[in-house]
Amino acid sequence: MLSSPAPVPESSAAAIPVRYMRISRHRRLAWIASAIGCGLSVLGLVLCWLNPAIASPLKPGLDFTGGTQIQVERLCQSACGELSVSDLQKRLNSLSLPAIPGEITPNLSGTSVQVLDGGRSLVLRLPALSADQSTALIEGLTPVTGPLKSTGTSVNTIGPTLGSRLLRGSIISLLVSFAAIAVYISFMYNGVFAFLALLCLAHDVLITCGVFAWLGLLRGIEVDSLFAVSLITVAGYSVTDTVVIYDRIREQRKLLADLPLIDQVDVAVDATLTRSIYTSLTTLLPLMGLLFFGGSSLFWFAVALIVGIAVGSWSSIGLAPTLLPVLSRR
Amino acid sequence: MARQQGWIAFILALAIASGALLATYGLQLGLDLRGGSQLTLQVMPAGAITKVETEQLEAVKDVLERRINGLGVAESTLQTVGSDQLVLQLPGEQNPGRAAKVLGSTALLEFKAQRPGTEKEMQGLLRLKRQAEAVLAAKRPQPTTTDSGLPAPPPKPKLAPEDLAMSLRSLGLTVPEGSSESDQIELLLAEVNHRIVGLYGPTLLTGKDLTSAGRQQKATGNFWDVTLGFNREGGEKFATLTQSIAGTGRLLGIVLDGRSISEASVGEEFKAAGIAGGAASITGNFTADEARDLEVQLRGGSLPLPVKIVEVRTIGPSLGAENIRTSLLAALSGLALVGVFMVVVYRLPGVVSVLALSLYALFNLAVYSLIPVTLTLPGIAGFILSVGMAVDANVLIFERVKEELRSGNTLIRSIDTGFARAFSSIFDGHITGLISCAALFFLGTGLVKGFAVTLAIGLLLSLFTALTCTRSLLRLLMSYPALRRPTYFVPAAQLPASAL
Repeated sequence: MLSSPAPVPESSAAAIPVRYMRISRHRRLAWIASAIGCGLSVLGLVLCWLNPAIASPLKPGLDFTGGTQIQVERLCQSACGELSVSDLQKRLNSLSLPAIPGEITPNLSGTSVQVLDGGRSLVLRLPALSADQSTALIEGLTPVTGPLKSTGTSVNTIGPTLGSRLLRGSIISLLVSFAAIAVYISFMYNGVFAFLALLCLAHDVLITCGVFAWLGLLRGIEVDSLFAVSLITVAGYSVTDTVVIYDRIREQRKLLADLPLIDQVDVAVDATLTRSIYTSLTTLLPLMGLLFFGGSSLFWFAVALIVGIAVGSWSSIGLAPTLLPVLSRR
Repeated sequence: MARQQGWIAFILALAIASGALLATYGLQLGLDLRGGSQLTLQVMPAGAITKVETEQLEAVKDVLERRINGLGVAESTLQTVGSDQLVLQLPGEQNPGRAAKVLGSTALLEFKAQRPGTEKEMQGLLRLKRQAEAVLAAKRPQPTTTDSGLPAPPPKPKLAPEDLAMSLRSLGLTVPEGSSESDQIELLLAEVNHRIVGLYGPTLLTGKDLTSAGRQQKATGNFWDVTLGFNREGGEKFATLTQSIAGTGRLLGIVLDGRSISEASVGEEFKAAGIAGGAASITGNFTADEARDLEVQLRGGSLPLPVKIVEVRTIGPSLGAENIRTSLLAALSGLALVGVFMVVVYRLPGVVSVLALSLYALFNLAVYSLIPVTLTLPGIAGFILSVGMAVDANVLIFERVKEELRSGNTLIRSIDTGFARAFSSIFDGHITGLISCAALFFLGTGLVKGFAVTLAIGLLLSLFTALTCTRSLLRLLMSYPALRRPTYFVPAAQLPASAL
């Protein structure tokens, strides 16, 4: 598979840099790295699916499972007293919520309680509650938690059908946009270019999902609707990044028409390498800011984007251009 | 040169207009950034209707809008989503419980007459109902419950556990394990109301014939009545209905959403003509809030189809404010670093691009306030991605300019060629981005839509700023001979000897 580059003819020597990075020399390494990345991701997704506690490729959050999530902030200026999760559980079990005529009052014993920020705030995950019931529950917590900050409370109740609707909508819109992009690229370039752009895109999305599958397995990180948004962002970035390199390859095919495609690709990748690295860097900088200053609600969103964009830059340098000569020959 | 000045003037004018727009209209922040409640209502098909059509969705929306206005929540918005959902946003509202209760019920009001021969059963049920209601009212935290209107109010009404259990058993109810006493009484009450409705004849009059609804406090006690006014047809029907049962001892039933809310006897004196005049009142011992909510529901009319609340999101303002502060800080610090990076790597054009990108950010915000785009967290994500792409456009251009300079071209020529050559890749990248935006916008749901809108605006503006702002500013600077030095673009070591 690894072919040595053709000798450079005198005539086009001027257009080829004297020393440049030949990506095709390292392509086997690039393919192996990507294959390992994809393999590990698939493994993570499968392990997640086989895990009886998760039973789906990614650990679904409230947005996809439905239910009620209550976050409260305790009103304690300097130091909050210790909070024991078992005390809270006991308190929850003893609460009686206002009943809705004709419906069974949800059982609170399966509530998951999470204490955040050193006991400052609490996150409860419950079966779906009505608005009245959530209010009653928050009021019922105060004997254990002490006074709560009225402005720091967030209650989310989501019906189980809503998440699947969101997921279906996102997937359909993504697939349609992929198809439209594929048509555009086949029109401006050719079918092989379009196929490889989509392959890279699938690679980037797969690895981002894989990272979150492992995070779900090892750290219990759940995916929410913002994760779906980040996947869409990664997909958009991945295609744009690839198309810029395609544009250079198209140009080199005219300038270096007498050279084999593999050399044209190498020259194009080398010429755009600085740009590719700078662009990823400048896109990653605001995201790094989001990661470090963005607060807890956006932390995992930033992680998903950073992983996806890093992988996206990699695939548009190491994957699409190196596969192009191989597939075009057939 | 004159063309350059024209562009610069145009860009300046745009910048001033954007600033003015932002200052007058400001930015609309989504609920995730400012705090408030959001309810998603699903319209359920019922009866002969198996699929919710657009007109039915609009009809439901109309009724809900009237109810929301009755509630008096400022700045609320109600939007249809997809084919069968409505999203209600209540900014600043921290306790959506009441809104949920008022919006969620169908509010189908029915007037029925008791069937002959059911008097005995009715009496038993009513006794049970009064008992249960009294216990619940006593449990309710209310400072003064002077029920002097009732014939013989016990000082503290109580239902002995064994009596309660017996009553429940007699009605054929099984109590879920571990439910509290008030749960059991609620259950009992629901069943009793259901049975009472079973003793009535067909519906003779509905809320459709209502023209007005109001409430008034009872002469004694803290309870309220809800008053009703009928149109002419309704008034006639009501008169016929009351005439048919006047003096018989049978009751007039007022049923809301299949639940009996009031049972009234009609006196002998109405035997001749019924209760005429087109007015009635529901004496249901309502609290002030209950009376007001019922009035709002009745005035808004009944929903043509039932709705179900499928999602309630509440975010406290401090969580929202914290979100936006930290997100803004994050984005700004990241962008500042990007600016430093551009100046260090690209020197003079780097400075130009920082200026152009600042204008870009300003234009973006101005368009958000003009359309207006409601900014949410996914929207900010779209903005950050579009900034990435705008920077990419500048990087592409400057890299090309550098290449041209390295291969020995003159400065002005390099700049022109750089822009020309970078154009096709910038254009392709932006078009593919816009294609995804279109798909996401037309097919995606709420969150995804917000993302697609800000990204699309960002992409269009980035095409504009990269190709006009950066270019015009750079050309303007090049009109000063002192700045026309290749070393302001590329380190001297990378330039061919001829260019120095």
